Amino acid sequence: MSDQNKDRKDVKRDELWRSVDEYNAGGVTDETQYHEFAPGVKEEFDVDKELSGISRRKFLALMSASAAFMAAGCSDYRDKGELMPYNRKPDDITIGEANFYASTYMGCGHACGVLIKTREGRPIKVDGNPDHPVNAGKVCAKGQASVMDLYDPQRFSEPQTVNQGEYTPAKWQDVDGKVIAQLTLGGEGSAVFISHKVHSPTAIKLMGELQEKYKSVRFIYYDLFAAENRTNAWKKCYGEDSVPAVIKWDEADVILALEASLFGTDGNSIEQHRMIRDRRDVNNTKKFNRLYSAEANFTTTGANADYRIRIKPEHYYDFVLTLMNEVSKRGKGKGVIPESLSGKLSAFTVDAFSKKAQLSEKGRKSLNALIGDLVSNGSKSIVYAGEAVPEDVQVLVHLLNEVTGGSALYSDTVANVELHKYSTSKEIAGLVADMKAGKVSLLVNMDANPVYHFPKELGFEEALKKVKLVVSMALLPNETSYSSNFVLPLNHDFESWGDAKIRSNFTSTMQPVIAPLYNTRQKEAILLQWLSGKTDGYKDTNYLDYLKAAWKENYKGNNFNKFWAGSLHDGVSMITDAKVVAPKFTLKDVPTENPLKPGKTAVILAESYALGDGRHANNGWLQELPHTISKVTWDNYAAISEKTSKDLGAKTDSLIEVSLNGKKVTLPVLVQPGVADDTVIVELGYGRTKCPVVALEVGQDVSVFQKTMNEKVFTTATIAVAEGSYTLASTQDHYTYDKSIVNTDDAHLKRHIIQEGTLAQFIANPKFLKGEKPSSVSLYPNHEYPGVKWGMTIDLNKCTGCGNCSVACSIENNVPVVGKDQVIKGREMQWMRIDRYYSGTPEDPDASVQPMLCQHCDNAPCENVCPVAATQHSIDGLNQMVYNRCVGTRYCSNNCPYKVRRFNFFDFRDHFANGYYYEEPVNLANNPEVTVRPRGVMEKCTFCVHRIEEARSKALAEGRPLKGSDVKTACQEACPADAISFGDLNDKQSDFNLFHEHDLAYTVLEELNIKANVRYIARLQNTTAEEV
Amino acid sequence: MNIDYSKELPLIHGRLSLGEIEDLIAKPMSEKPNRKYYIALAVTLTLFLIGAISLGYTFYYGIGMWGNNQPVGWAFEIVNFVFWIGIGHAGTLISAILFLLRQKWRTAIARFAETMTIFAVMVAGIFPTIHTGRPWLDGYLLPYPSQNGLWVNFTSPLLWDVFAVSTYFTVSLVFWYIGLIPDFAVMRDRTTTKVKKFIYSLFSLGWRHSNRNWQHYEKSYVILAGFATPLVLSVHTIVSFDFAVSIMPGWHTTIFPPYFVGGAIFSGFAMVVTVLLFVRKVFDLENIITVDHLERMNKVILATGMMVGYAYATEFFIAWYSGVPFEQFVFINRIFGPYAWAYWIMVSCNVIFPQFFWFRKLRRSIPVMFIIVILVNVGMWFERFVIVVTSLHRDYLPSSWGYFKPTIFDIGLLVGSFGMFFTLVLLFVKAMPVVSIAEVKAVADGAQPTHHGGEH
Repeated sequence: MSDQNKDRKDVKRDELWRSVDEYNAGGVTDETQYHEFAPGVKEEFDVDKELSGISRRKFLALMSASAAFMAAGCSDYRDKGELMPYNRKPDDITIGEANFYASTYMGCGHACGVLIKTREGRPIKVDGNPDHPVNAGKVCAKGQASVMDLYDPQRFSEPQTVNQGEYTPAKWQDVDGKVIAQLTLGGEGSAVFISHKVHSPTAIKLMGELQEKYKSVRFIYYDLFAAENRTNAWKKCYGEDSVPAVIKWDEADVILALEASLFGTDGNSIEQHRMIRDRRDVNNTKKFNRLYSAEANFTTTGANADYRIRIKPEHYYDFVLTLMNEVSKRGKGKGVIPESLSGKLSAFTVDAFSKKAQLSEKGRKSLNALIGDLVSNGSKSIVYAGEAVPEDVQVLVHLLNEVTGGSALYSDTVANVELHKYSTSKEIAGLVADMKAGKVSLLVNMDANPVYHFPKELGFEEALKKVKLVVSMALLPNETSYSSNFVLPLNHDFESWGDAKIRSNFTSTMQPVIAPLYNTRQKEAILLQWLSGKTDGYKDTNYLDYLKAAWKENYKGNNFNKFWAGSLHDGVSMITDAKVVAPKFTLKDVPTENPLKPGKTAVILAESYALGDGRHANNGWLQELPHTISKVTWDNYAAISEKTSKDLGAKTDSLIEVSLNGKKVTLPVLVQPGVADDTVIVELGYGRTKCPVVALEVGQDVSVFQKTMNEKVFTTATIAVAEGSYTLASTQDHYTYDKSIVNTDDAHLKRHIIQEGTLAQFIANPKFLKGEKPSSVSLYPNHEYPGVKWGMTIDLNKCTGCGNCSVACSIENNVPVVGKDQVIKGREMQWMRIDRYYSGTPEDPDASVQPMLCQHCDNAPCENVCPVAATQHSIDGLNQMVYNRCVGTRYCSNNCPYKVRRFNFFDFRDHFANGYYYEEPVNLANNPEVTVRPRGVMEKCTFCVHRIEEARSKALAEGRPLKGSDVKTACQEACPADAISFGDLNDKQSDFNLFHEHDLAYTVLEELNIKANVRYIARLQNTTAEEV
Repeated sequence: MNIDYSKELPLIHGRLSLGEIEDLIAKPMSEKPNRKYYIALAVTLTLFLIGAISLGYTFYYGIGMWGNNQPVGWAFEIVNFVFWIGIGHAGTLISAILFLLRQKWRTAIARFAETMTIFAVMVAGIFPTIHTGRPWLDGYLLPYPSQNGLWVNFTSPLLWDVFAVSTYFTVSLVFWYIGLIPDFAVMRDRTTTKVKKFIYSLFSLGWRHSNRNWQHYEKSYVILAGFATPLVLSVHTIVSFDFAVSIMPGWHTTIFPPYFVGGAIFSGFAMVVTVLLFVRKVFDLENIITVDHLERMNKVILATGMMVGYAYATEFFIAWYSGVPFEQFVFINRIFGPYAWAYWIMVSCNVIFPQFFWFRKLRRSIPVMFIIVILVNVGMWFERFVIVVTSLHRDYLPSSWGYFKPTIFDIGLLVGSFGMFFTLVLLFVKAMPVVSIAEVKAVADGAQPTHHGGEH
């Protein structure tokens, strides 16, 4: 410091000093005191010296670097895949906001328009396209669950070479080359393409071009459930070129479903739900329709019918003729009935039929009422026969509609469109014969599964071995891909372009909502490639270009791009087709003999509502959707009546052997009240063998009984008890008919869980239900709900118990699949379930259905018992679950009188099929707005709280108060009958609230005074006036 | 019979001297365990291990390993909990209430009963902690100051349980330990090995058998007895609230608190008798734990058994009298429904078989009482099963009815709980005096000299 000593004189005036010492020292501030470190400590300081050589900064840097290295070294951050942030925000994606795209779902014969919800580019939810004229905003359970098929972990991700089920990756070019070579080689009928129904006019055009180029090509079209009997009968009656007319269900006052599941598997159930159930509006009782059902099976249509007549299949014929006779006796249909029949008719009287079919008193009454209604309502009545009803009876049904005048309900504005005819059973048999004779050298299976579907008797699987080249286009491994030479992986519908025409006056469009997840192509693009005759030059847009070109050809306007974009946006494009020609009944030679000869036991092969023809079998959400009536999941079974079971000495869960046409199948029994005696009902679509694990060996394949695919009913079976027993997984127990001292009969009525009445009762006294209202005095003040208060009303007049809501809820709320073993234990997770209750006798039961979900009680009994306060009441009336806080005592579930709480006994995604639903990319299907619950946590319906919050933020952003109508819950959106309404209970003047306060509205278990916020509108049976 | 009612019956038989009493009681602790002891320990440890393995599986995979399902959210785990808490009732009742009532005969059995209480509550305490879906978060059940302002829900009976059981355990433990201090001192004085001496010295807290020591001891013992007495009633009352506070028919019953307390004493006494029968035989304590003691216990079993039977009857009467159809159904379903077998096991074991104790001869017969107390133990387990499971399995909505079937893991945990309990009992009999030396000496003949030569 000595060198800093300066003479006093050097100090300038403005220099600062703080002490005399400093002044003396020269007035210069000691610089070191401003330094953080002692002088000499620098970055490169020597460690050996007194002070640490590492500066604090360096030390921290080294510390954090080593910590970071350690952390990085220990984690597998490298395996996280690519994380790609949006450098620039795409125009159409806002993080956190869903996009909706209109498209078409081709999962069955109806090609419904769908609206696909995508989040950050991945589809997570499917609902109906509201602009679609047929399904009008609703879509069935299969459609709802289809999003899970997209993410099925076992999807083919690239072409495969197959050797007896051994799949090894192949190249598109190689397979294409082989097929093209084979096509070019030609040979009369040597190339066969097998396909399900094709809805797309453009695909048909493409297929035509393919046939044009390669003369050897022939197409085989089939569907296991194609309503062929009905269609063929129609063609017989109304001419070969006619197609079954569109029925104006909404104008029908009287409907008779003959073995037809109008709310399930026959016809377009979505449209029928809407049009038929719309007429059950309690605010417009004048328009109530009356539904009759005559069936051997017990379907939701029977359960919701005002009158149900239980008949055996062998009596279909007599039944229809009895109606015809009785109706014509009362002066209907003069001159319509051909002479060949009219002579024989007089023998078919109500008395004769009642005797023959051993109708109960109730059945007879119903029959009389039906006849009366058909006579008095004539042109406002319609008779519809379902899939199982044989062609000859279908002809008579069409004739009956002519006799009653019901044919007036055939639409004169819209017609069904038939783009191609189905191949006849003869053609299919011919194909197999050709294959066996070695005449077929190329067989292309276009996303169909003929090995599984074709009648086993034909020996299609064996015949496949004679075909030189078998190529299967498939999404998932199936029985046919197993026996193929090559598999070409397909795009899911949500990855594909297309169009569909099912009715006149509009065409619907299909657009991809996500880029193909794998190295897959869509069917049409594969065909297009083959059409080009080259193996290269494939682009994802090839088929789009073709599609657009095809549309442009038909487009008459001058701004095609605008039209195209508009069509894609709407999902449908309205075009007026040629006028509908009224069908004219021309058949003279009507059947005069019963096609079903009485036998020992009848068998009906029914369609599974969830699985369809089995192609949806690998979807756990559908497998776990309880059967609409029996509530059985994960199985098909032999449903038999109580009397038959007693005669046989079998109970539910015993095994019986069904012998038919020389084939035997052992099936578990389910004693199903309401099924016709000596009749076995079994569903098809089960018993898949060469498929991924979800569908594998679920149930039994009963198609072995079939000789042709349209044959669904047999009367010559025998049944016998087999050794052993089996456990069916039902979500509702079978104790409902307990006649012992623990009398559970009609418990649901005695407990006022189901409240019902007749229409006449309601008209006479609208408040007839309210008489029994218990008083609800409380010591405590009520909760206060200053703003919105959420509530729900479920109209049991409209609900049919189809279960679409249940699937929609599971998809929306990331509800896991639990598997059969867990359903047996009673641990199913669906937040929304459909309860079904029987009353009356097991022979002729009435069934009532009731969707049951969290009732969001004001005085919720679950809330006060949770020790950790994990379930709370919100200010807008929701009963909320705080998953993070829940420790899983299950006390809340015990104390819930509705038992709607669901507990994660396991990590079900891990527990089910060895973690099948933990595999990539199933996680992409999860709704990001809803927490995926870990094991040990209670969960339940949230009233779609995430949708409420979304609507709330939207309202907030728009600066307006939140309204009840802003929110639609997932179940409400999915309900095809619009039975569910949701809204604000504090908005006293809203339609919703008026409905909630309706005279017919009731709360389940009202006497507990827990003040549930879900109300049910009591079902009104529309019985005839004489019965009141 | 010629009984002199003016004179108390001797509580200790065989005219044992004070020194002999001490020797007799302290003997097991000074001897090396024999083969039989090791075999017994091996058996109980095996059972314990079965429980531990079942628990391991449960922790790894989840509660789903058990048979619980949607309507039956609680089953074996809560049945076991209530069962063991009930077992844990006899101890404090004998040591505290009978002490306050100056029942001198309690001295021979009090220590053992108290110890059983401690162990039973330890076993019981396991079940609520493992029954949760996420046991690693059980800490949420404690009211701790959380930064998030999260607080427990004081309206939940399950939370009351946490307090009731932990309080009961703490007080019982302290009470038991205070009673042990003079005996630890005796053991300290008797023992020869260094390690034992150190341990017994540590736990005897410098006890010198001085007058001053005894004065303080007696005072604190009375105070603690007074403290423990209400807990005997409160803990099972609160356990019963788990059910009574709910709205489930079959659970929502005001009779539950007295009914549960009565049942707990019933089952606790039965368990004490079960184990004492072995202990007095194995350790030659027949003169100290006499047939008179056992007979008195059997009288209590008879009395409480009838109380329980009365409660069963009252429940039915009230179900009928209430006119509530749900309530009526639950009780009819109990007797005749799918779980009727459990109900009839319960009634026969708890109400019918104890009636044999009306007969003095049967009451004093060791084989008969052994069979009956075992049946009572079984019956009381089933009582909790009937209450918990049959009420839940068919409640309000017939659509959600179900059936509970236990899995091997349920049974493994039940077995394991017995394994744990008896392992602890076995360890106890070799480490501490099974009968209170000090107290028994005090009631021995001639221990309380009076001016009248022992006669009033």
